[in-house]
Amino acid sequence: MLKINHLKKNYPSFSLDCSLHVAPGCITGLIGQNGSGKSTTFKSILGLISTDGGQISLFGKDMHELTIADRQKLGVVLSDSGFSGYITPQDLVPILKNLYPDFDKAFFLTNLEKFGLSGTKKIKEFSTGMKAKLKVLVAISHNARLLLLDEPTAGLDVIARDELLDLLRSFMEQDEERSILISSHISSDLESLCDDLYMIHDGKIVLHEDTDVLLSDYALLKVNAEQYETLEKQYILKVKKESFGYCCLTDQKQFYLDNYPQIVIENGTIDNVITMMIRGAAI
Amino acid sequence: MKGLLIKDFKLMMMQKNFFLSIIAIAVVLTVFVKNPSFIIGYLTFIGSVFTLSTISYDEFDNGNAFLFSLPITRKLYALEKYVFGFLTGACSCLISLILCMIFGLIFGNYSISDSLMTAGMSFPMFLFLLLLMLPVHLKFGSEKGKIAILGVLGAVFIVGFLFVKLDQLLGLGIIASLNSMSDLGIGGLIAAMFAIVAVLFLISYRISSKIMEKKEF
Repeated sequence: MLKINHLKKNYPSFSLDCSLHVAPGCITGLIGQNGSGKSTTFKSILGLISTDGGQISLFGKDMHELTIADRQKLGVVLSDSGFSGYITPQDLVPILKNLYPDFDKAFFLTNLEKFGLSGTKKIKEFSTGMKAKLKVLVAISHNARLLLLDEPTAGLDVIARDELLDLLRSFMEQDEERSILISSHISSDLESLCDDLYMIHDGKIVLHEDTDVLLSDYALLKVNAEQYETLEKQYILKVKKESFGYCCLTDQKQFYLDNYPQIVIENGTIDNVITMMIRGAAI
Repeated sequence: MKGLLIKDFKLMMMQKNFFLSIIAIAVVLTVFVKNPSFIIGYLTFIGSVFTLSTISYDEFDNGNAFLFSLPITRKLYALEKYVFGFLTGACSCLISLILCMIFGLIFGNYSISDSLMTAGMSFPMFLFLLLLMLPVHLKFGSEKGKIAILGVLGAVFIVGFLFVKLDQLLGLGIIASLNSMSDLGIGGLIAAMFAIVAVLFLISYRISSKIMEKKEF
């Protein structure tokens, strides 16, 4: 569906070198801190910025060869941009109808009401949450094959985030071939939604793993200096010095559960893993 | 294209009170000036340059990034601004012609051919202005564009001045032949103006397309 191979973009104080793959029927998450390169990646995929190297292919085509019909199969949410704030959701109906041949007006209007979004109010008068819901609604209302969602849940409260994630799940249920690339810095959103995750830091992908594997096989080992010395380090990915000794990240939790019953083993969470991948040192 | 045109039309409709007040001002001024043709130039100008305001609305709140993630091309966006400017200019011209006729009926002493002549002259003139301003606005944005347009107008003036001087010095006789265009009659003159605008459109559109293709959002 989407393949990125060593996409490069150089700024004076930042360089991006990103490779990732979104398979058909999959929700792929891109997680990283602010300024880690998530938005630059999205903007590159969409051709909003020029790139300095690498290849991006969408629907099996080089991104430079995409036609308008190909772009109609994309649904896009950008964190810092949307339709002009001076128009109303009702105004969007004829606009979207003419931009997308598969625009589902009934679906759009029904969900507008369901989300409590006024059709006649200017978008700029909407709250952050309302704007976010409208953006996602626009992206999923024209039978897109791939959704590119850059921080769609930013600024939303827990309830609104849940509603949005449910909307995305039902979007995926309608067609097995649909895919989503979603970025967020809120790990819990991605944990419950994504099939696989890419972690990006300083413009580089530092980890790619299936979400299930990450949650089941990754763990934090909390050991004192003595325990650390005797610890089998073959399966340790990163290590970090702590006041109590060492914190180690492993992707073989079961091995340590079986062989080191005396040490403290915490289940891996996305937050744990990303913190260790960024702050920890390699063995 | 149609989707973009509807977007710009919706943005314009949002400003309907502004347009109604412009028409009201035009009506009042026309009554005072006692020249129905005045309204034609005034309204056609406002109408044709409104497309520049839509560029500002597109830019508002970083809206361009999302706009260009839609199924449109950058060339199509540039072309749509010209088409929209042409349509709004033509509609304003038509509305002002109708207003002129109403004035004529109320106040008498009205010549439809005079109004048509004014419309025929003003419309290509304002289109010319639009062709000049659109690439500048697309390049510099709405804020810097206002300053840049002064520079462009200055440059046009200087180029024109140098052209006339060069023509005189080298005795090319281009100005003399331009002056003889008045022999074409008013119909011919208007046709010539539209032909010049058509050629300028191709140049202006090409420049705008290049500007849009190089932009990053």
